[in-house]
Amino acid sequence: MVAAIASDHAVRGSTLTLREVSHRFNFEGQPLPVLDRINLQVGRGEFVALLGPSGCGKSTLLRLVAGLDTPTAGSLLTEGRKIEAPDPSRVVVFQDPTLYPWRTVWSNVALGLEARGLLRTHRGRIEDALRLVGLTGFANAYPHQLSGGMAQRAALARALVNDPKLLILDEPLGQLDSLTRITMQAELVSLWQRSSFTALLVTHDVEEALLLAGRVVVLSDRPARIKAEVVNSQPYPRHRGDPHFVELRREVFEHLGLDEAW
Amino acid sequence: MSSVIDEVPRPSEKSGFGSFESSTPRSLIGGLSAAAAWSMVAALTAFWPDKLESDWAYTGSFAIACGVLAVALALAAFAGVRFVAFRRLQRLSPWLFALALFFVAWEAVTAKLGLLPLPFFPPPQAILEVAIDDWGRLAEGIFASARLLATGYFIGATVGFVTGVAIGWSRLAGYWIHPVLRFIGPLPATAWLPLAFFVFPSSFSASIFLIALATGFPVTVLTWSGVACVKSAYYDIARTLGATQRFLVFKVAIPAALPHVFVGLFMGLGNSFAVLVVAEMLGVKAGLGWYLQWAQGWAAYANMYAALLLMALLCSGLITLLFRLRDRLLSWQKGLVRW
Repeated sequence: MVAAIASDHAVRGSTLTLREVSHRFNFEGQPLPVLDRINLQVGRGEFVALLGPSGCGKSTLLRLVAGLDTPTAGSLLTEGRKIEAPDPSRVVVFQDPTLYPWRTVWSNVALGLEARGLLRTHRGRIEDALRLVGLTGFANAYPHQLSGGMAQRAALARALVNDPKLLILDEPLGQLDSLTRITMQAELVSLWQRSSFTALLVTHDVEEALLLAGRVVVLSDRPARIKAEVVNSQPYPRHRGDPHFVELRREVFEHLGLDEAW
Repeated sequence: MSSVIDEVPRPSEKSGFGSFESSTPRSLIGGLSAAAAWSMVAALTAFWPDKLESDWAYTGSFAIACGVLAVALALAAFAGVRFVAFRRLQRLSPWLFALALFFVAWEAVTAKLGLLPLPFFPPPQAILEVAIDDWGRLAEGIFASARLLATGYFIGATVGFVTGVAIGWSRLAGYWIHPVLRFIGPLPATAWLPLAFFVFPSSFSASIFLIALATGFPVTVLTWSGVACVKSAYYDIARTLGATQRFLVFKVAIPAALPHVFVGLFMGLGNSFAVLVVAEMLGVKAGLGWYLQWAQGWAAYANMYAALLLMALLCSGLITLLFRLRDRLLSWQKGLVRW
């Protein structure tokens, strides 16, 4: 079933390049800088986590990558081409599942195919995606009947059905309870391993970043600058109690300036 | 703390009106009391002679009708012991009982004692008389009113919906339409009446215009606010999934705005009733509003009550229909208000 989703694209994910990306908001007439000359290179099929304190501008960065906003300065490129508008090859999973309440789980997942006029030919993919996230029995349920974890799985299926080359995860597990969260973290890794997309995860959870990503990019307070990069080359599944893992965690906390508090 | 609160005995769920549905002997008693009350209406009408010098032709028929109803209610009460379908009817027993009391009082103070002045307060048999003798004209009235209302409402709701979506979606449309809407919208549609009746070729088309106007304003405003209130995250999701502008309007904005739209349709329907009656009273020579006016001219108050009753049924029926449609289209919503 994974093959059905990934078959159209033999290429492993897409590359992402950020060159001197800066962004400003207008806040009550005052310019409010949120991003400060961010440079980042993400390779094909890589899993990169952006880690930073809340409100530092991580989500803004993701919106730029998704093409929902354009940066004040600098440029973003994928596969060498400039990102100027949203594209179904780069799909975002937001912190809030934002399922359409008037659609069933099935037709929420169908959204991307329907929007691109592919529903008739690629109908089978919806079943595949629902199976992938373990929601097969809930195709006809409405969002208000789902638990938080199930809703987020549905949102994940809605993204995966489009066979994204770059999956943008904006704190997708932030609203889940800690038990569901641990399960979903493992599921995210196995989805990424099987479906071969490039993944960009925004989180403020140090453990989550280190469990999932191969590289953790630590951002500063607003305006966000890249403070450090921590590489975790441990094989999956990773264990929270592993000495090397603990060591990496300490290192990341140090970069965040929280090593003493922790 | 909480465990203490939990131990406090709660009033039983069985008490109150719920008990009318549940226990069989009670529902039987309820049904039979209603039947008894209606046979009382029948007996009173038949055996208490009408006040002297009055000539109500249908006193006997009315008594028979009440008697038939009483027998039917008694049969339904007994059937309710066996069949669940009839038991549901028993929920109405208290209401049927109260209604019978009302008819007893009405019959007594009009036909029997003559306490209320005629012709303003006819007895129930006079209204039965109208229903039997003048049903043709009443049916024509219903048909004419329904046609006028349906045409005007449909045009108004359609134009209002399209305008609302346009204002909510397009900045240009908002710029040009919003001021007009603000200036003209709050004006009651009936204020246009004198103008409409000479500008339009017929009073029928003038009335359609007025009803459409009265319907259109609330539909426009609420559709607009519905579209404006759509969470921007819904658009973000659709855009990242490759949605076109068209898709954003028809598959995101409009479905998300539908709960608001229905509030607008409901308000518009209420407005349209008011305009319908005024238009029929002042210009159109047909319909229930016209019938009301006509009956008043002849001091035929029984006819007026009959027309009022029918009008209430028509309006309430249409509102029910609208709510049914909403329940079907918005079945995904939690906690819908039942009409």
